[in-house]
Amino acid sequence: MIKWITENLRSGDADARRAVLMAAMIVVQGLCAAFYMGDAILDLDGSEPLAHLVLESLVATVLCLGVLFFMLELRRLLARMDQAKQGLRAAQGEMSAVIDTFFTRWGLTSAEREVGLLILKGVDNENIARIRGRAVGTVRAQSASIYGKAGVDGRAQLISVFMEELLASDGPA
Amino acid sequence: MSESIQHQGGREGARTIRVWDPLVRLIHWSVVLGILLNAAVTDPEGPLHEYVGYAVLGLVLLRMAWGVLGPAPARFSAIPFSPNAAVRHVRDTVRGDRSVHLSHNPLGALMVYNIWMTLGVICATGIMMGTTAFFGVGWVEDAHELAFNWLMLSVVLHVLGVLLDQRRTGVALVKAMVSGDKNIPDGWSTK
Repeated sequence: MIKWITENLRSGDADARRAVLMAAMIVVQGLCAAFYMGDAILDLDGSEPLAHLVLESLVATVLCLGVLFFMLELRRLLARMDQAKQGLRAAQGEMSAVIDTFFTRWGLTSAEREVGLLILKGVDNENIARIRGRAVGTVRAQSASIYGKAGVDGRAQLISVFMEELLASDGPA
Repeated sequence: MSESIQHQGGREGARTIRVWDPLVRLIHWSVVLGILLNAAVTDPEGPLHEYVGYAVLGLVLLRMAWGVLGPAPARFSAIPFSPNAAVRHVRDTVRGDRSVHLSHNPLGALMVYNIWMTLGVICATGIMMGTTAFFGVGWVEDAHELAFNWLMLSVVLHVLGVLLDQRRTGVALVKAMVSGDKNIPDGWSTK
């Protein structure tokens, strides 16, 4: 269990770490609450003075409230993590839609579209040639054609077209 | 064309989905640890056996609370008690249905309730044995042992079910209960 906790603490990001810590707190606190409640119930036979019983019940109640509080907090945290992940996915989906829009507007052929995507992914001409099983010269010609249709003078400017789109607030211009 | 490139990026096909939150996983493996301790390690007459029993009861109660307060996959609504759905699930499986349940599958849901209830019986009879009113009463001890044997059988069936479903769908279920993520293989839909 301890190994599991430390592994989770190491690998995750800050929110995931918080979630694991909260879960551990809930378990520890819940167990304490169970012990106090069990002890209080066993003491109902009158073996302990009333004050002892009242104190035990009070501690158990406070611990239970703590558990409930932590559970609600943990759920909120998990929901937020989910939302952040979904937002990221939406942004990624949006980006590919933006790329599609531009490629279509520039009138790229299907081969050029594939090369264009690989260029945006940062793959160099030699590797694009290898991936597509074409000569480097062919890829070079295709990328030159893409730059020409896009009206940019190279790889960096092509990428900056999409960077600008990411930074701008109102979708494909 | 461009689709094949997106495919490499993991947009289609194989994907990873977060299903088990940290609390569910921590409780699951803590209960496993508790059962192992009380089944094989602790002295059944000793105080440690009682403490571990209380701890397992506490963990089950925590899970109940989380079943109401927790996120969707952990909630009771994600694991409906439905024998009909379980029968349907078995039929679909035999027919070669290619879909993966994100939470428990309907057969697994029945096992969940079975194990919770069995643990409840074991804890209740265990606590009763420690009280003056039921100390040394025969049927309470018998019930405690009977429930324990039933639990062992259930655990074996649970593990078998997990391994079988893992083979059928290719989703690493044991890994999912450790890491929290289900890796859904290419070509499988989710429900």
